[in-house]
Amino acid sequence: MNEDEAYEYVKSTLKKEMITPYHSDELTIVSSVSRCINCGLCINHCPVVAAIGVDRFSGPRSIAVELSRSPPEYWSTADKIYLCTGCGTCKEVCPKNVDIPEIVNLIRARIFEHRPDLVPKGFMLVNEIITEHGLAFEPWADKEEKEESRDMRLEHLGLPFIPDIVKEKADVLFYPGCQAEERAQEVREAAKVILDLFGVDFTLLNEFSCCSLPSRLMGNEIKARELAKRLKNKIKKLGVSKVVTTCAGCTSNLADLAERDDWGIPTYHLLEFLAEEIGYARLTQALKGKRLSESVHISVHDPCHLIRHTSRRIMDYAMDILALIPGVKVTASEAHDSCCGGGGMVSYHSKDVADAVVKENLIALEETGAERLVTPCPLCTAQIESNLFKSGSSIEVDDLTVFLAQKLIKE
Amino acid sequence: MTDSEYDVVVIGGGSTGTAVARDCAMRGLKTLLLERDDIASATVGTCAGMISSGLKYSDEPDIMAMCSKEVVHFNHIACHIIMKNPILAPLLELSDAASDSSYVDSYSAHAEERDVPAMLFLTPEASREIEPMLHPDIIASVYYEEFFIDPFRLCMLQALDAINHGATVRTYCEVIGFDINNNTELEGIIFYNRVSGTTERVSTKLVINATGPWAHKIAKLADEELDIRLNKGAHVILDRRVVNVGITVKAIDGRWIYLFPHENTTLLGTTALDTWEDPDSLVASFDEIEYLLQSIETILPSIRETRIIRTMAGVRPLVPEWKRPEGKVTRGYRIIDHSETGKTKGLISFTGGKLVMCRHMAEAVTDLVCKKLGKAAACTTHTQALPGNDADVDVAALSKDFGISLHALERMRARRGTEMLKVLELTKEHPEWKTTICTCEPVIEAEMRYAIREEFPQTLNDLRRRLRLGTGPCQGTFCTYKAAAILSEELDLGGDDFLVDILDFRAERWKGIRQSMRGEQLAQEELTLGMYSCVGNLDQSDVDYDIKPWEEGF
Amino acid sequence: MKLKSDILVIGGGMAGLVAGIIAAESGATTLLLRKGQSATAYSSGAIDIIGYLPEATEPFSAPSEGLAAIAGLYPLHPYGVVGYGDNVAPEEVVDTIIERVRDSVVWLKDRLEGTIASVVGDFQSNFSPISILGTTKPTCLVQTTMNPGDIHEREDSVLLFAGITGYPDFNPSSASKTYLEDRIAMGQPPHKVGFCMTKIMPFGKSFNISSIEIARHLDHKGSIETLAEQIDVQVKRIGATHVAIPPVLGIRHALKSKLELEKAIGAEVFELLGFPPSIPGLRLQLALEEVYTKAGGKLLAGHEAISSSRKGKTINSILARSPRREISIDTKAIILATGKYIGGGIAGNENGIRETVFDIMTVTGEYHSAKDIVPSRVTHRLEISPMGQQIQTCGLSIDPQFRPIREDGLEWAENVFAAGAVLAGYNYSVEKSGLGVALTSGYGAAMNAVDRIKGVA
Repeated sequence: MNEDEAYEYVKSTLKKEMITPYHSDELTIVSSVSRCINCGLCINHCPVVAAIGVDRFSGPRSIAVELSRSPPEYWSTADKIYLCTGCGTCKEVCPKNVDIPEIVNLIRARIFEHRPDLVPKGFMLVNEIITEHGLAFEPWADKEEKEESRDMRLEHLGLPFIPDIVKEKADVLFYPGCQAEERAQEVREAAKVILDLFGVDFTLLNEFSCCSLPSRLMGNEIKARELAKRLKNKIKKLGVSKVVTTCAGCTSNLADLAERDDWGIPTYHLLEFLAEEIGYARLTQALKGKRLSESVHISVHDPCHLIRHTSRRIMDYAMDILALIPGVKVTASEAHDSCCGGGGMVSYHSKDVADAVVKENLIALEETGAERLVTPCPLCTAQIESNLFKSGSSIEVDDLTVFLAQKLIKE
Repeated sequence: MTDSEYDVVVIGGGSTGTAVARDCAMRGLKTLLLERDDIASATVGTCAGMISSGLKYSDEPDIMAMCSKEVVHFNHIACHIIMKNPILAPLLELSDAASDSSYVDSYSAHAEERDVPAMLFLTPEASREIEPMLHPDIIASVYYEEFFIDPFRLCMLQALDAINHGATVRTYCEVIGFDINNNTELEGIIFYNRVSGTTERVSTKLVINATGPWAHKIAKLADEELDIRLNKGAHVILDRRVVNVGITVKAIDGRWIYLFPHENTTLLGTTALDTWEDPDSLVASFDEIEYLLQSIETILPSIRETRIIRTMAGVRPLVPEWKRPEGKVTRGYRIIDHSETGKTKGLISFTGGKLVMCRHMAEAVTDLVCKKLGKAAACTTHTQALPGNDADVDVAALSKDFGISLHALERMRARRGTEMLKVLELTKEHPEWKTTICTCEPVIEAEMRYAIREEFPQTLNDLRRRLRLGTGPCQGTFCTYKAAAILSEELDLGGDDFLVDILDFRAERWKGIRQSMRGEQLAQEELTLGMYSCVGNLDQSDVDYDIKPWEEGF
Repeated sequence: MKLKSDILVIGGGMAGLVAGIIAAESGATTLLLRKGQSATAYSSGAIDIIGYLPEATEPFSAPSEGLAAIAGLYPLHPYGVVGYGDNVAPEEVVDTIIERVRDSVVWLKDRLEGTIASVVGDFQSNFSPISILGTTKPTCLVQTTMNPGDIHEREDSVLLFAGITGYPDFNPSSASKTYLEDRIAMGQPPHKVGFCMTKIMPFGKSFNISSIEIARHLDHKGSIETLAEQIDVQVKRIGATHVAIPPVLGIRHALKSKLELEKAIGAEVFELLGFPPSIPGLRLQLALEEVYTKAGGKLLAGHEAISSSRKGKTINSILARSPRREISIDTKAIILATGKYIGGGIAGNENGIRETVFDIMTVTGEYHSAKDIVPSRVTHRLEISPMGQQIQTCGLSIDPQFRPIREDGLEWAENVFAAGAVLAGYNYSVEKSGLGVALTSGYGAAMNAVDRIKGVA
């Protein structure tokens, strides 16, 4: 055998032994989980453990000291590893900051490669949609219907329509994320309203494509890397100097990609952009004189991808900005370590688990006495809204971007 | 024959002793195995589990051929406890390959019978794809495959199979003397029962001395001289599989050392130091740890970023060849019939040998035993499977049926094969025994209870050998006290014994942890002390704890 | 991102939170940075002050006795340092130590009053609560739910250990045997001990149950009655006067559960000291965080201090990193309460021991440089013994103001103070002094930091 044939042979042996060599950029994740001392602090805080118990989901510490130790056996974690919502609570409370969310993705990637039969069926459907459309959701078949839906939403919310702009060399790329692009169109539109109001020189993508997070979460590493590359090319071609998004998941994932793939430009959540680039002075100015029809009592849900995957400071900004709006009263929820349950794509295969996770939040939310919940993530919004609706609650849910846009334009 | 009369008494519960007991029993001999401590508690328990193709012994073609054949036999009789490791030997200079290339041909000559490829050569790019931690300057690598067995389970299964075939296996029985009549014929054997504290005697026609590094001491009890060369080997153990494949490299002194994925850990080994110390007191030294780390560092520069959880050290009982480095000493074994080399009739000893040869050694000595006893029976140890090897197990289905985590069952399968069903049966009556006790490996309570009832452990350390209890990253921090309570219940121990079991197990873990303490193991130890000293106040306990050999001097 | 504070606390365990509370209560804008939780969140529910001298085997009957011994024998012990100051005469040192430790104990008891981690016990004496192993240890305070009451004093006391089926962290059979053998050896009550199993099934299963599930379950209304019914039968069976259960009575409502149980079964109920992952530790952590934020302190979780910038003799800003952002924080004073190996304030490898945030000089328990030591050589062959492990005494050496010092004995920076397990010179697991040192040094470090801020202002 020559060297090439030898390599092919070895690869086939590794495949048989179910070994996918760690990529060099995965070694830091492996070394992070090695730091686990099995103390179990994470068990006390994991919202999935709280919702379904350690027998069904053995919890973050078992992922670190048990399930992630031997790649040839990764397939046998399939009954546990898909139940992690990736909320990052474990990593945040961990004295060693063991990177559980990332090792979960790595293990899922190995199962996807070696035992696709064990990947939840729900994932495969999304995978097909992503492969076909480059989006995490089936796009509207009829463009006009999509626009009608958008206009209805805008009308209902009392928001003006700002036409899409696509141009090169704008200062900011506004990246709404799949949910706001296809489903929660009002979030996309509201962000445009806000950016426009402050005179931001922004553009949209010519053709929207997924940030790759869903592919990573289901374990399709090849597709994830392909989507990341596609997005980078688009951004580079536009020549923007910043990226702004309204989705929590996109916020953390874009930050990862920008670093890993050397984008050389910063990425922001809209809240950060407003706080750091627009400034509270201009926000205060813009909110001044807007007569609010009535005062409103709200509570705020912190998206995991912002507080634990990016920085808790972003939600400090959210609270600062809400404090600038006249007539808004905020009551914090007592739910510690909360997660909407919508993370990690758990709801795609184990809806009961996702719903059990969010349940704890709903109880705490009811106790706040708030009439409205706002959260700066369209995915959290959807997950919480549908569960509140099912529970017969009268509390309404708004994406924070939409809530803010409404306050900014209200006369 | 009564309960105190045997055809053959085997001394030593390591790989060879258990293999001999199994072979003797299978050939219909009345067999007793006596072990001073526990099954696999010494040399075999500190090896990497490689059932070697004999790659390093290219100067001894017969031994290579024998090793290869034995690998085939093991794959036939114990496939459930065997894993295959692909291995890279990366080269930094051409001379690494050229200096002793003979092994390429001799390895490849037997590859086919083991169903592995001949040795292959890979480009540096391909090598680094397979193992991204490799040094960027490597020029090529050699690829080959070896098989690895769980050495604890192998010994245990051999012992259990011996029992299944009528043998008696007694642990914690230390041989203290022989009855030798005036004709220098060995008639009986005297041993001290360490559990009951009594001395016992049995009659026997023959004694097989399979005590490895203690062989000369046992021979001495019969006034026989036995030359042996003791050689210490140490391993460093990492918390998980950090490499994708096994890696071998030449150390600073030109010896081959390795980094092998083993179960769910990685083993870095080994050293070779001639030793005259008491094997019970040996621990890995700072020099040995550095020798291994510095040597592997030449091709895996980031190795020190990985987590070392412990070290282990054992003693090889080599054939006594002087003026030769360890690597050049024959890896064959010798059967010493003391009636020929000395005067005692009925005593036969081993020196030398390797894990992979244990069955072969047993076959050879049992042939001799049968000849001496005038018994005509053929060896079947290579054709009859060890318990659990029968067929594949559908762990996914079992996981659903019994409501136990898939990974816990997959790990149990790797220990027990089809025998795991007996463990699972217990959970029907006792669903609470589905509870995970050791969270790292993991081990569930039912398997602990089963092992306590069926596999004669006396201590938590014995349970560790049967279950891998406490061998993960936390080194038993979180299972010691839970497991000790279960052992106490099953053996109906008192409160003091419960605490002694905890202290004993901690002492044994600490023996290996202490030598390589660094990095997160410092935090792990802070946690352990916080639990057992600070909260449990066991540092102030006045229970009857015996200082261990490696703890003496304080 | 940018932030500003008067006092920046790095580390969110007992030492950091105590320091943060003092700072916030003084009116200083206080920011507490925490990369993760720490050993405090593992703690058993006992707050030890001092139980033993290192290597000694006789427990102290009162903290003051232990503190006096420490002052004499180990003047550089963190408790020893408490006694120094410009206006403390040499003959007043011992009394000063005792007074200052007492002050901080009284202060903590007060702050925890009414929280989910309220404590009982007082500075006058140590007592011996029981652990889940059935052993006892000397401590000063325990959470109110863990108060064993008069079990060791009452001649007719009978103790029932109640376990939970499928909960592996506590085995009442072994614990009761160990405990009874110990009491018999001491010739002290209780003379009768029994055990029983109960069924608590948070998710309808009687296996693989964790502490947190039970605690959450018992927090819910109505769940305590089922437990009470089961224990009641067993209490009657053996005539128990006291019932010991693992530390899982609840997170928010543990005390209520205890009282309800006692009312239902007519015996005293208390939680045992347990191992991590610990519910009492969780209660203590949450309670301290609540006291801190109520005092006006700002908690920034998930951020790790990674570098600092110095201006002359002071550190005036810290760079903190979250998973995907960096924040620059300007500050007037810093309290370093980063813990030891678990907390990550001190780290070691085969080449030596170092402090992780500022790289301040580390020392061994004997106050030799720990910069180049090989950890295994600063250990003992016995893992668990009164000698302890010397490696666990490595850390920072401090001046009387709790400021870490350099090799020349001068403070490393004028405005950097240190507290808790990051300090050298004490071995908490053998001394039984962990949270006590954290409390006292956190209290002292913060007082000094506040003085400095006020002086500067």
